[in-house]
Amino acid sequence: MRYGDFTPFDIVLLLQGLGVSLALFVSTTLIGLVIGTIWAVIRFYRVPVLTQIVTFVAELLKNSPVLVQLFLVFFGLPAFFKINVTPTEAAVITLSGNSAAFIYVIAVSAIESVGKDQLEAARVFGLTRWQILRRVIAPQAAAFAIGPLTGLLVNQLQVTSLISVIGVMDLTKVGNILNLRTLKPFIVWTAVGALYYLTAKLVAYAGGRFEKRLRAHTAWRGL
Amino acid sequence: MISVSGVRKSFGAATVLNGVDLEIRQGEVVSVLGSSGSGKSTLIRCINGLEKIDAGKITVDGFDVSKPRELSEARKRSGTVFQLFNLYPHMTAVQNIALAPVEVLKVPRRQAEDEARELLRSVGLSERAEAYPSQLSGGQRQRVGICRALAMKPSYLLLDEVTSALDPEMTSEVLSILAALAKTGTTMVFVTHEIEFARSISTRIAFLDKGQLIADLPTAEFFSDKGMALPRVAQFLSKMRKD
Ligand SMILES: Nc1ncnc2c1ncn2[C@@H]1O[C@H](COP(=O)(O)OP(=O)(O)OP(=O)(O)O)[C@@H](O)[C@H]1O
Ligand SMILES: [Mg+2]
Repeated sequence: MRYGDFTPFDIVLLLQGLGVSLALFVSTTLIGLVIGTIWAVIRFYRVPVLTQIVTFVAELLKNSPVLVQLFLVFFGLPAFFKINVTPTEAAVITLSGNSAAFIYVIAVSAIESVGKDQLEAARVFGLTRWQILRRVIAPQAAAFAIGPLTGLLVNQLQVTSLISVIGVMDLTKVGNILNLRTLKPFIVWTAVGALYYLTAKLVAYAGGRFEKRLRAHTAWRGL
Repeated sequence: MISVSGVRKSFGAATVLNGVDLEIRQGEVVSVLGSSGSGKSTLIRCINGLEKIDAGKITVDGFDVSKPRELSEARKRSGTVFQLFNLYPHMTAVQNIALAPVEVLKVPRRQAEDEARELLRSVGLSERAEAYPSQLSGGQRQRVGICRALAMKPSYLLLDEVTSALDPEMTSEVLSILAALAKTGTTMVFVTHEIEFARSISTRIAFLDKGQLIADLPTAEFFSDKGMALPRVAQFLSKMRKD
């Protein structure tokens, strides 16, 4: 291939890169949601020891750069445990952990946002802690959390671009390759940026739609 | 029967209940009076297990509320109505009422919601069954709160100043429902500042003063010379009547 030429195939390449970024984003978000929520439930039940561990791990993940975490997983784990970690595995592990930590923080404040007086009502009517969590807290906490969560996910989508440095063929990595080949950085990075932008807008839009549904009961507030 | 005996409760250094004895039998309407801070709310919260007592014993139909196993049985027998309604804001009136019957008593949802509608009808809220708490007036919310307690078919209703967050008009709509309940023989422990109303529906008056029950008399006696002979009661009544 000659320098300087875009080919129709580059579109496919970009879309493939976008596909990889999206797949990583969606899978690590789902894993992060599950883990972050479980951590928040552990804290809700004040499980001894586990609660402290969860808080500590979340603090570590929140307060260190994702790139450093990625290097630790990709280079550090193989060196220390003598195991093989593929770039994709490292990306999934790191991004899931990072999302989990931030989702945990959102989930904890969402749980705490639910008025104590209703919880007392649920208790005196004999609901178990689990029933209160599911029927009273969860729906309201979800409505509370969806806004911050959407903001977080838009950000996490951008964070996925970091994984290109360890060789995962995501959108940014594809952009890198195209840039080196064509030496037209302005066009390449504009196209890549636009794809991230559109995806982020889509995430924000979906979040907004979802929020409206979850907050149906507050639409009337003030009457 | 709800039996409260020798109950003590402190918050830090402050003793709020200082040896309270009280028995409420089926069919009685016992109003608990007393000035602000005398421990009325705390007493209710000890009976429904929201506060742990430091000494003494509280049983509801024989179930000891300080034993976790028995507390759940005790709670099935008493229903609480709260001063600030404490409704679940994300649920409609019907859902608010049906929640505990479905989750705790395992009543099928359909049936629980039908019963909830029936209760709402009895308090004049048929049309508001699908409304969320934020769409209801204070008086309507409290009527939902009463239905929610009644839905558990409790042997006892515990009511803590259930009208004090309401304006006079709403207060009277809620009080008329309570008067109707009293007439049908519903057992109630009724904390209130509505002296005249307490007088009209209660079988007995219990008077708390600084965490001690200094009077526990049939209503007529409480409002006669016998009650007035107690300086704290006389003082309280004259002050309340002035307001
Ligand atoms: N959770 C708590 N922590 C500390 N002090 C408390 C707590 N709950 C109540 N108290 C104190 O206990 C005392 C009795 O409170 P309680 O609410 O039982 O009074 P009350 O008779 O219901 O008063 P009111 O008529 O104003 O409702 C008050 O001095 C109050 O400040
Ligand atoms: Mg009170």
